[in-house]
Amino acid sequence: MKNSPLESLKRGVKSWEFALLMILFLEFVIFGAKNSKFLNPNILLGSVNDIISICIISLFVTFVMITGGIDIQAGAIVGFTSIIVGVVWQDGGLNIWAACLIAVIAAALCGALSGFFVAYCNVQPMVVTLGGGFLYSGLALLVAKLSATESYKGISGFPDSFRQISQFKLFGVIPEQVIIFAVLTVIAYLLLHKTKYGRKVFLVGVNPRAAEYSGINSRLVIMSTYVLSGISAAIAGIVLTSYLDTAKSDIGATFTLQIITAVVLGGTLSTGGKGNVIGTALAALVIGILRFGLPLCFKINTQYLDIPVGLLLLIVITARSLAGNSKVVRFMNGVMPRGWGKTAAH
Amino acid sequence: MNTVKKILKIREMTSFLFLIALFAGVGMVNSSFLSPTSLLNCFNDSVVFTLLAVGIAFVILTGEIDVSIGAILGLSAAVTSTLLRNGSSWAVAFLAGVMVGVVTGVINGFGVAVLNIPSLIFTLGTMGLFRGMIYVYTGGAWVENLPAPFTMLSKAKLVGDLTAFYAVVLAFVILAHYILTKTRRGKYFIAVGDNAAGATLIGIPTVNTKFVSYVLCGVFSAVAGILYSSRIGFITPTAGNGYEMKAIAACVLGGISLTGGLGSLIGASIGAVIMSSVSRILVFLGFSSDYDNTITGILLIVIVVVDAVSQNRAAVKNRHMRLAARAQSKKGDDQK
Repeated sequence: MKNSPLESLKRGVKSWEFALLMILFLEFVIFGAKNSKFLNPNILLGSVNDIISICIISLFVTFVMITGGIDIQAGAIVGFTSIIVGVVWQDGGLNIWAACLIAVIAAALCGALSGFFVAYCNVQPMVVTLGGGFLYSGLALLVAKLSATESYKGISGFPDSFRQISQFKLFGVIPEQVIIFAVLTVIAYLLLHKTKYGRKVFLVGVNPRAAEYSGINSRLVIMSTYVLSGISAAIAGIVLTSYLDTAKSDIGATFTLQIITAVVLGGTLSTGGKGNVIGTALAALVIGILRFGLPLCFKINTQYLDIPVGLLLLIVITARSLAGNSKVVRFMNGVMPRGWGKTAAH
Repeated sequence: MNTVKKILKIREMTSFLFLIALFAGVGMVNSSFLSPTSLLNCFNDSVVFTLLAVGIAFVILTGEIDVSIGAILGLSAAVTSTLLRNGSSWAVAFLAGVMVGVVTGVINGFGVAVLNIPSLIFTLGTMGLFRGMIYVYTGGAWVENLPAPFTMLSKAKLVGDLTAFYAVVLAFVILAHYILTKTRRGKYFIAVGDNAAGATLIGIPTVNTKFVSYVLCGVFSAVAGILYSSRIGFITPTAGNGYEMKAIAACVLGGISLTGGLGSLIGASIGAVIMSSVSRILVFLGFSSDYDNTITGILLIVIVVVDAVSQNRAAVKNRHMRLAARAQSKKGDDQK
């Protein structure tokens, strides 16, 4: 089928990613109108530190969810890597970059361990990553005990070269974290949508048995997605440690809700087989901007921010579930322009 | 011999034997753990987790999940404690707490059962919502200075060292277990979890059953919240954070399958005892409580992996036996 540019544009407008883009745009308009400080590039881009971890991790948790799994251990791995960087550098006396490398390898092993149980032992992903969450956050505490510093204080005083990760700004405006996020988005996009590996991830999610019969090592593919999400959690942990200049064992403890929200909001089916990196990236930004804009422009206490994020998730999934319901679609087609609901329904 | 085999085949028996082995193992290292008071305290201390685990067991048995129970616990605890502190009567405060459970349960049940939204996602959303409501309700402050009679309630002893709380909760669990396994409506829960489509075909109200399971789960969590405030004596806005994970872990330890349709409430309460004993056991073994999460995680993973591997083995063995039997009968046919 050949598409004229107009048709593909039409399809693009109807897509879920376009809706997300509109929501993002709307957020900018509303927050900007309310408080002009919001649009100040320094303030806006400075807020990136608070949301960067969610953005990075959700990109790769998308892979896990496309295979039909779920990953609720990523938050624990963030803390685990952070404390490893701190302890290996301060108490182990190693170079900071070697410490980072060790942390990334440790996180990859964590992901591989959980992935192994999911893929090769057929344990439900939810249970494995639940146990993994306990295990890795527990191990993080034990690693923290190895340090001479009291664990509640956190390890700080990192060298400048390491702190540059979160201090450096391209052209004096764009923080390095934004570049990291952009690069990772491109990598994730190419990996998922343009390579053979990505096709395998989708096929395993749609029908694991068919994937197995067509010669795909589906178990290895499933395991690899957990390794990827573990590595992304490690990157997030390192960036966050650099920004806070503190290595603590529990810095990622509250991320789970936001990560899953971003992935689902981005259009990934929680049952697997369908998903999109661009959608996830946009959704993560929508959540991040919401969490940044509400306190700044509407003076909403940061402690209340779980409510709008929770509500956003509830509204989106309810709307999509209604749009997927044939009765509602038929009813709405009578009221709304034709084709309504097709975009949101799977 | 047959009865022994039958008893061993009961799923929660594995968990119970594990519990006994665990206690015996700890007792060998430190015999003071095996004193009646210390053992009973393991059960007494598990009261909040028992309620949470049994509540979520209803939901898990139907094949769904509810990760908002920690927030429901916190919300109910905050509401009850605030009312009590402001001088409301106990009846009003308790009723308000339970109503929190009913309302939150109805919201979850509506989303999952009626709107058919994946339960993990929906309850993740309501978790954020309910947790935020705690902040709104308390203004982010701690609820302290609860009336002394209320906090003393948790220390009330029924017989010997058995607290009244645990006795009542245990009675409830046994009653609920009886209803679930012996009555027609009770059996719906497991039937729906085992095979939802099949259950619908034979006329079981699947949607209703799931809905009811969420309401029950909400109520159990809310009651757990009331007991929590009595035991702890003050409520922070983060009260119950992460308890949902521990309750799910307790269910898994108690032999309940997260795919639904397999397990029992007794199993859930045994799992809750194992779960809440971990930190106590660590103390008796001379470890610091920092090992708490690590041990919990290892326990959880080991148990589910062993369970899954043995189930896979059994499935493969069954298939081989079936194939062998078929081949045998075919041979018999040929000879005729």
